[in-house]
Amino acid sequence: MTNTILPPAGERDVIAPVQVQGTVVKSKWLHSLLTFLVVFGPGLIVMVADNDAGAVSTYSQAGAQYGTHLLWIVLLLLPVTYFIQEMVVRLGIATGQGHAAMIYQRFGKWWGLFSLVDLELVNFLTLVTEFAAIDLALSMMGVNPRIGVPLSAVALVLITLTGSYRRWERTVVFLCMLDLAWFYIAFAMKPALGVALRDTIIPSMPRGGITADLTFLVIAIVGTTVAPWQLFFQQSCIADKKLRFSDVRWARLDTFMGACITVTVAGCMMLAGNASHIHGFNFTDPAQMAADIGTFAGPAMRMLILVMMINAAILGTTAISLSSAWAYGEVRGWPHSLQLPFSKAKGFYIVYTLSVAAAAGLVLIPRAPLQLIILGVQVLAGVLLPSAIIFLQLLLNDKELLGNYANKPWNNWVNWTIIIVLFGLSLVLAAQVAAPNLFPTGH
Amino acid sequence: MATMLLNKLDAQQMANDHRWVVIHPLDDAPEEKVDTSALGPMTMTTSVRISLLSLRAYLIVMLLLVFYRVFCQAGFFGLHAS
Repeated sequence: MTNTILPPAGERDVIAPVQVQGTVVKSKWLHSLLTFLVVFGPGLIVMVADNDAGAVSTYSQAGAQYGTHLLWIVLLLLPVTYFIQEMVVRLGIATGQGHAAMIYQRFGKWWGLFSLVDLELVNFLTLVTEFAAIDLALSMMGVNPRIGVPLSAVALVLITLTGSYRRWERTVVFLCMLDLAWFYIAFAMKPALGVALRDTIIPSMPRGGITADLTFLVIAIVGTTVAPWQLFFQQSCIADKKLRFSDVRWARLDTFMGACITVTVAGCMMLAGNASHIHGFNFTDPAQMAADIGTFAGPAMRMLILVMMINAAILGTTAISLSSAWAYGEVRGWPHSLQLPFSKAKGFYIVYTLSVAAAAGLVLIPRAPLQLIILGVQVLAGVLLPSAIIFLQLLLNDKELLGNYANKPWNNWVNWTIIIVLFGLSLVLAAQVAAPNLFPTGH
Repeated sequence: MATMLLNKLDAQQMANDHRWVVIHPLDDAPEEKVDTSALGPMTMTTSVRISLLSLRAYLIVMLLLVFYRVFCQAGFFGLHAS
């Protein structure tokens, strides 16, 4: 049905009629709800994909080693992750461009290339850990990883090759919704909810005080909750979806809901780790944890945790590979949109496919140094995150670029506090790398 | 509630008529954004410039340190770091 009403004669010369496709509703409330639903996506995806395979491992290890004592850190990370990603929302909507393009254009070639190379390197290493987790989970399920890993890689490539952003988004939002199964897993473990709630609200220190293990685990928790790829991913995703200035508040709500879900799911992973510890199991990896939990919660629970581990890795892989492909396309000036078919954005899709294929292939190589790669990812991400956020902060204070969307003084206070804390943790990590015996071991 | 093709201006005027239009961002008319390529590099104060240079030095040193430690762990230098 086409509406052909044109503006009054005087206005016709000034503004050419532009046809758009929309849904007419008769309630303001319904209009708000539907507008939110069409904007909804990038915020949820970036946050839920943040709970990737590495996060499942880190949070469940934290629960297995320290019970519910570190839940307050996860809660503390809710505003941190929200405020950082909210800046990306404003930047993406105001410029309609990705983060890599912004750094390249506003800070010059050196920083542009440094950010790109650093992003591609850390992303690739992270992708290897995602496929290593898929490999581990499939082996525990009795599926041959030599068949399962390549199949996962093919599926990951196919969901992006449809030439439709909406189709990709719907598929990934569905996978994000599956992540809610962690709530069921956590409650099935029958946790002491009062204790968990107390440890979430009131900061407490595990028995044994500050040790090297605890320090590294805290840095790993922070590093896994706030990762550099997230900045690049959400900004490019917003640019690809062509969000408008009027969508800012809905995109903020989308991001906030995503942050709440990711933090709560992280808490659920800790509770699962805690349950395995209470039943006398030592944590080695999440797949083994699933097997351990299966001995007292049943084989269905074992299978569910393994499936969720694979889902986390799949979500992480698609988001991280896309952040690499978008960033590369932006810097090279290639067409880079999920709305484009393969024939019109070959470079973009090839970077995505190569990232996925190379990481999956590396995992299948016998005796590949996976442990070393995991260590490298954690350390590199920890070292590079504060600098990525400093660029974000500088861009958000760029009035020429953002006008009214630039940071307000209170934004700056919050963000500089976050940057100082992250730099502090990065320096602790640096000290630990330089002098490994700095902190007492054991707990 | 019906999905239809309509004029962007009509969509904006419908609110006065107690009718609202929901348009998916990908179906909407392109919005004018800031022309970032015309802006060029960001103007920076001397303190910001010095801070960024320090950050560059810090990152280079840290990356070298990380790679050294990773290669030590891998036994590239004939020893395993503690």
